[in-house]
Amino acid sequence: MSPQTFEYRPSTPEEIESDDPVHGELMHLSMGPQHPATHGVLRILIDLDGETMHNVEPEVGYLHRGKEKTCESLGWAKFFPHTDRLDYVQPLMNNIGYALALEKLAGIVVPERGQIVRVLLMEVSRIAAHLIYLGTTAIDLGAVSMFFNCFKEREKIYSILDAYTGHRMNNTYVRIGGVFADVDEGVEGMLREFLEGFPAAVDGFETMLTGNRIWYDRNRDVGIITPDDARAWALTGPNLRGAGIAHDLRKAEPYSGYEDYDFEVAVGTVGDCYDRYLVRVEEMRQSTRIAMQALDRLRETRGGEVLTEDRRYVLPPKEKVMTSMEELIFQFKIVTDLRLPKGEAYQGIESSKGELGFFVVSDGSSMPVRCHIRAPGLYNVQAIPLLANRRLFSDMVAIIGSLDFVMGEVDR
Amino acid sequence: MVIVKRKELSLMERLFLPEIVRALSHSFRAIFQPKITRQYPEEGLPTNEVTRGQPRLTLLEDNETLACVSCGLCEVACPAYAITIDGQETDRFIEREPERFEIDMLRCILCGFCEEACPKDAIFMSDELELADFTRAALVYDIDKLKRPKAALQKRIDYFYKVNDRWRKSSSTS
Repeated sequence: MSPQTFEYRPSTPEEIESDDPVHGELMHLSMGPQHPATHGVLRILIDLDGETMHNVEPEVGYLHRGKEKTCESLGWAKFFPHTDRLDYVQPLMNNIGYALALEKLAGIVVPERGQIVRVLLMEVSRIAAHLIYLGTTAIDLGAVSMFFNCFKEREKIYSILDAYTGHRMNNTYVRIGGVFADVDEGVEGMLREFLEGFPAAVDGFETMLTGNRIWYDRNRDVGIITPDDARAWALTGPNLRGAGIAHDLRKAEPYSGYEDYDFEVAVGTVGDCYDRYLVRVEEMRQSTRIAMQALDRLRETRGGEVLTEDRRYVLPPKEKVMTSMEELIFQFKIVTDLRLPKGEAYQGIESSKGELGFFVVSDGSSMPVRCHIRAPGLYNVQAIPLLANRRLFSDMVAIIGSLDFVMGEVDR
Repeated sequence: MVIVKRKELSLMERLFLPEIVRALSHSFRAIFQPKITRQYPEEGLPTNEVTRGQPRLTLLEDNETLACVSCGLCEVACPAYAITIDGQETDRFIEREPERFEIDMLRCILCGFCEEACPKDAIFMSDELELADFTRAALVYDIDKLKRPKAALQKRIDYFYKVNDRWRKSSSTS
């Protein structure tokens, strides 16, 4: 492969001085870390020449909590609540990504119904995360009612997750080998009701935005990224697909049985903010389709197990712990000293932001040697200078919004 | 693969005024939809047995003795290091009991791992959610603040056993 040519280059002195009334006097602007449009604590250093941005430099690390290091001293199972807090708008997706990596390492097979429940949870989480993207980006660009419309829909998802897991956010309901509890009929009914009404809600969003001239003018041809650049900067997810590359891990490297579901990968053509918006809206529709199929399969597999029966890694049922000495010993062993076999494993999943990967290394003891998190948000943040340099300052908000990152995951 | 359709604005859309009317008509429809705002705290949070609120210790049927035998499993399982237990021997029918059992509610993340780990049905997530006080020390709950009669947690216990009933077809070791 030939060396990549990057579109990004620092602004030349001529460009900076060309239409500047005060020659060479740039205004240094520090956008963030508490700027409402930066979606968290991201600081962007900008040199402003009038309205034109030069030397754009994102500065990450304000929300660094040392998650990867924490994992090394916490043990395998106890890290699950910490994965919730990576990309906190889709906690269950992170749980599942981490669980899949551990399962790959230990060679655990999740029962069919467990996989279906996981797919369902992942797609519902994806819808919730895209709703956050849409709502926050729209309010940044001035469409206040969109924010409330999106959060109204998201609220329904969170009520359903509340009825299923007992928490609205930070659910921690995924375990090694499956999910903690089965989706019962009540929750299933709530989900079906929501998913049936959701396409109409998406149409409503499109009514408000797609043909809206303000939205159109502020997003179209703003922040264009070419397919080559997107690939070179390791963008994944809707940002890559918006640039026209049909790469989706659910199709490319299926996990959790995604190969059995019927859905399409949404792809853009130009790679601007408007395309990324359209791709995400289409993904919400496709996610609804997948979730509906998963619901149908749940009906077919009623009564199946959601947690694999493997006494080395999974806690035995409480009933048996109370009655059997053998199970009680397993209970103590797993809680105090859960060991995964020696080796390393990487598992990437298609999260709402891109490829969310967990790379885990084990030396056979109960503590991980390393747990690296490939957070898609970090790569999305990296692309900001590429998209924003030499553009007008007001485009910055659209670019940040359309790249869609969550700082909890970027800084981790 | 589905290529998303980029819309070219029509004349009406470029004129913008008719579009404002169309979008406003969409927005104004929300007036006639049921209100979704919950007037907290006047209207309480709906809780049921699924709710994972703060962990509480169960008492045995006599409503005096803790079911806890201070084995320390919840302490080990806690990912936030919120639980501290000191055990001691007693001459009661349960030979061990916690001398000190503290849960730092400021650290607790309500994940429910303690409830899952406990081999004696001694700790369960209650539906108590609200947590506020004036000092940090007051939020480190001791046994007196944590203990609850079993009847108060019975719904949660039943629910937990229901969702935990797995491996039904397994060749049980018991």
